[in-house]
Amino acid sequence: MKRLFDAIPVDAEAEERGWTVVRAAFAAREPRVRRSRRLVPAIVVVAAAVLAATLSSPGRAVVNAVRRSIGVEGAQTALFRLPAPGRLLVSGAGGTWVVSADGSTRRLGAYSQASWSPHGIYVVAASRDELAAIEPSTGEIHWQIARPTISSPRWGGSRTDTRIAYFTEQRLHVVAGDGTDDTRLPPSRRVVPAWQPGTNEHVLAYVDVRGRLTIFNPDRGVVSRLSAPYGGVRDIAWSSDGRTIALAAAHEVVVFTVSDGRARSVRVTGVRAVAFAADGRLALLRGNGVLLLSHGRVRTLFVAPSRPAGIAWSPDGRWLLSSLPLADQWVFVQTRGARRVLAVSHIRRQFGGEPSLDGWAPSA
Amino acid sequence: MASERRERALVRDAQRGSVEAFEQLFRSHWPRAYRAALLVVGDAAAAEDIAQESFLAAVRALDRFDRRRPFGPWLHRIVVNRAIDWSRARHLRRETFADGPEPAAAERESPGRAQALAAGLAALHPEQRAVIVLRYLLEYTPGEIARILDLPRGTVNSRLRRGLDRLQEAVRE
Repeated sequence: MKRLFDAIPVDAEAEERGWTVVRAAFAAREPRVRRSRRLVPAIVVVAAAVLAATLSSPGRAVVNAVRRSIGVEGAQTALFRLPAPGRLLVSGAGGTWVVSADGSTRRLGAYSQASWSPHGIYVVAASRDELAAIEPSTGEIHWQIARPTISSPRWGGSRTDTRIAYFTEQRLHVVAGDGTDDTRLPPSRRVVPAWQPGTNEHVLAYVDVRGRLTIFNPDRGVVSRLSAPYGGVRDIAWSSDGRTIALAAAHEVVVFTVSDGRARSVRVTGVRAVAFAADGRLALLRGNGVLLLSHGRVRTLFVAPSRPAGIAWSPDGRWLLSSLPLADQWVFVQTRGARRVLAVSHIRRQFGGEPSLDGWAPSA
Repeated sequence: MASERRERALVRDAQRGSVEAFEQLFRSHWPRAYRAALLVVGDAAAAEDIAQESFLAAVRALDRFDRRRPFGPWLHRIVVNRAIDWSRARHLRRETFADGPEPAAAERESPGRAQALAAGLAALHPEQRAVIVLRYLLEYTPGEIARILDLPRGTVNSRLRRGLDRLQEAVRE
C-alpha cells in the first residue's frame, strides 16, 4: 500500500505555487531577535532627543509647518461630526470603527479591513486570519471563519440573500452571507472585487489574471468576460443602479454598460481609485487630485497639498471624503452648490492609527 | 538520527530567519503533506490549499516551536486535521467550483490498483481515511496517531481495522 501511496504524483507546479506563498509569508515574519543591550540605551537617547525637539516650541513649529505644507489649512483639531447623514466605516492599525453622523465612534474590533452589507445592516470585517460578520450597533459577532491571509472583504446581494467576496493570499473566494458555502474562483488580479447593486441576482465583478473585467454569478457557477484585457487595472466600481461599471486602467478609465457590453473610454492616466455617487457621477483619484467624470467630461473637484488615499461618497451624494495620510487629515469636499472644503486633523490619534475609508452607509 | 539532527538544525536556522533552511524543510515535507491531504480530501485543488495553509500555519507558529520535537509529526497533525475539517465541511454543504472540481491526482493518473485504492479511500469516512493515511503513508504507529489526532488508541485501532477491511473489499472488486 505504501508503494501505491508513494506513486501518487505530486504536481511540481503546485509545489512551486505553494513555495511562492509560503516564502512570502516567511519573508514577512519577523524572527525573534535579541536586541543588543548596548543598542537599547542608544535608541532611548535618540528617541528622547526627538521627543524633546518635538515638544520644544521651535520643534513644534517645524512639525506644524510641515503639516501645513502637506495638509489643508484651517483644519478642525478633531472630528466632531460628519457633514452629511449616515455612518462611516473605517479600518486600520487601530481596528475597525463606525463613525456616526454626530461624530460618536464605536470600535468593532481588531480588524484591518471591512465593508458594509448591501443595506448597511451588518459589517463584514477581516483580520489577517479571520473573516467576521458583525452587528455595527453593538459589535456582536454573528459568525466568523478562519482563513489564511484574508483581505478586501466585500458584501453584496438583496435583503434576503447575500454573498461575501474576499481574497486569501492566493485566490478570490465567495461565501454565503451566513459564512457557509465557500467557493474558490479561478485565479484573478488582486483588484478589490465589486458586487452589482440593485439586483436580486448575485453578480460579482472582478479582474481576471489577464486584466479582463469578469463577471461571476455564484448561484449558477457561471463566469463570463465583459472586456478585453487592460494593463495596470487599479480599481473597479459599480454605479448605484447596477447598470454600469467603471474600470481604472493604467492609461484610461473605461465605463461599461452591462446590458449591451458597450465601453466608453476616457483618456486619464494614473487613476488609483474610482467611486460612483448615487446620481451617477464618477469620482477619480489621480495624483494629488480628486476628479469628477460626468457625461463624458472630466473636471477637477479638488487638488490636495499631498497625495489623497481613498474616496467615499456620502449617501446623499453631496459630500465626498478623502484622506491625506501624510498630513494626518481627512478632507470633506462639498460637490454640489458652493464648493466647501472641511478638513479634520489628528485622525491617527482618534482611530489608533491611519484608517482607510471602507464606506459611508445611510443611517440605520 | 543524523537526519533528525539535521532537521533540528534546519528548524533552528529557520527560526533565526534563514529562508534557505525553511525552504529545505518545505521541500522535504511538501510531497508527503500534499499526498496526505489529497488522500483524505480527494480533491487536488483542496489538497494544495490544505498543504499550503498548513505550511503557513507552521510559519506563523515557528517561533513557538519546540526544537526538541520532530517537525514532521507537528506538520502532519496540522495537515490531517485541516483535511478532516475540510471533508466534514464539504459533506455538510455543497461546494461549487467555478471551473469545476479537478479530479484527484490518484484518480487521474494512476491506473489499476491505485485507481481502485483511490476509489476505496474515497468511499471511507474522512476520519477513517485520515488514520489509514497516517499509518500507511506517513508510517506512524497507532500510539503516535492517537496523539496526533487526540483520540483513544482503541478508536485508532478500530478505525484502522474497519478502514482496511473496506479498502481490501474495494481493491478485490
